[in-house]
Amino acid sequence: MIEFEDVHKHFGALHVLQGIDLRVAEREVVVIIGPSGSGKSTLIRTVNRMEPIDSGSLVVNGTQVNAKTVDVNRLRRDVGMVFQSFNLFPHLTAAENVMLAPRRVRGLSEKAARERAMELLTKVGIPEKADVHPARLSGGQQQRIAIARALAMDPKIMLFDEPTSALDAEMIREVLDVMRDLAKEGMTMLVVTHEVGFAREASDRVVFMDAGRIIEDSPTAEFFAGAKEERARQFLGKVIKH
Amino acid sequence: MGIIFEFPDLYLFPSGLWVTIQLSVVSLIGSLVIGTVIALFRISPIPPLRWVGTGYVELFRNTPLLVQLFFLFFGAPLLGIRFSDEPLEFNFRAALLGLSLYHAAYVAEVVRGGLLAVDKGQIEAARSLGLSYLGMLRYVQLPQSFRAVVPPLANIFIALVKNTSLATTIGVVELLKAGELIESRTFRTVEAFGSVAVLYLLLTIPMGIGVNWLEKRLRVAR
Ligand SMILES: Nc1ncnc2c1ncn2[C@@H]1O[C@H](COP(=O)(O)OP(=O)(O)O)[C@@H](O)[C@H]1O
Ligand SMILES: [Mg+2]
Repeated sequence: MIEFEDVHKHFGALHVLQGIDLRVAEREVVVIIGPSGSGKSTLIRTVNRMEPIDSGSLVVNGTQVNAKTVDVNRLRRDVGMVFQSFNLFPHLTAAENVMLAPRRVRGLSEKAARERAMELLTKVGIPEKADVHPARLSGGQQQRIAIARALAMDPKIMLFDEPTSALDAEMIREVLDVMRDLAKEGMTMLVVTHEVGFAREASDRVVFMDAGRIIEDSPTAEFFAGAKEERARQFLGKVIKH
Repeated sequence: MGIIFEFPDLYLFPSGLWVTIQLSVVSLIGSLVIGTVIALFRISPIPPLRWVGTGYVELFRNTPLLVQLFFLFFGAPLLGIRFSDEPLEFNFRAALLGLSLYHAAYVAEVVRGGLLAVDKGQIEAARSLGLSYLGMLRYVQLPQSFRAVVPPLANIFIALVKNTSLATTIGVVELLKAGELIESRTFRTVEAFGSVAVLYLLLTIPMGIGVNWLEKRLRVAR
């Protein structure tokens, strides 16, 4: 489903991705952890070409993401993305946020889009907030709506970039519950998170990144039983403590 | 004021006012449309469009409006451009075009500022959903910049209403010209130009009030 082969990326002089090799199969859930600045966000942002790569090969859903002929908007329909800062559209209600892409990209009628939006808002547990603007919602509610919005295009892959880092403890759980359900349904997911509990229960593999490289890539159980790499063990120790 | 009402030329005031209103409304719409397009050029990912946008703004902001009006009025016919065969209509259209082009440069800067003030995360979220660049502009970036641009745009449009008086120099019989004609026939200088000033206030003050109301409504809507 997602295949990185020797992928490199620079921001000017900064070598952010230094030869990434990573495969994510259909229905697989892969968690990426690693210190801040190690390139985790950049890595998942290459999957829907929010960040272009400099060299190597990246195939998503059977298409070379960085080929010149690729219709990037087409590609992005199949890849949902959830951000740390939610990024809900403040001028639209919750339902309108979810309806925007189905209506304007897929050309669904207002009625059909509304029905689908209500289904998704029910799925994330807040159908009663359909007609409320984001500013009047809690962070947890906003992030759940952002997940519903990303799901509205029926993506085959979901990318999560630290979806709970901006949330208070009591809201983290409601967001993780939604993500856990998605994982159970067989969604292919690439998740940057430091929520060890989520990784342990919901992921198939854990990838540890440091300084633009993948240092360790292990099945979840093995990773938590004892990471092979010293750096990964140290980092895990820090994350679990606090 | 008393005696002035006895003069038959008084109809010039309402007809001049009407011309001023027409000039204002049409150039307001014209400058809004042109200015928005120039703003989109200025933030475009395509460099040549950006150069065109920047060139436009620099050219029209850094030359006097009066010079632009004279250029259109005297220069256009020499360049083979005829706005109309009917002289009064020619003057009127030259003024409309000049006022629109000039104020569009200011509108462009305000709209550009509003567009750039939209959070980058909004643009990313829209693009990640598969919206094209233009779709993102239409449904996310432009509507979100709206709130921020209303007050500065209102200031530009109030200036525009006042600047329509320059059209008098290229033979448009608008409000100021009406005042001049009445003054020259009645010699009631104070009354004539005082009335002109009051009539401009009747246009500009409600605009200010309208904008305050709109600003408040927009704040509540969020
Ligand atoms: N658009 C950008 N331009 C320049 N440098 C960037 C950009 N985005 C990220 N970086 C830099 O790239 C490095 C990796 O960033 P990021 O992928 O966000 O790391 P992480 O998500 O692991 O914290 C950091 O040093 C960051 O400052
Ligand atoms: Mg990050």
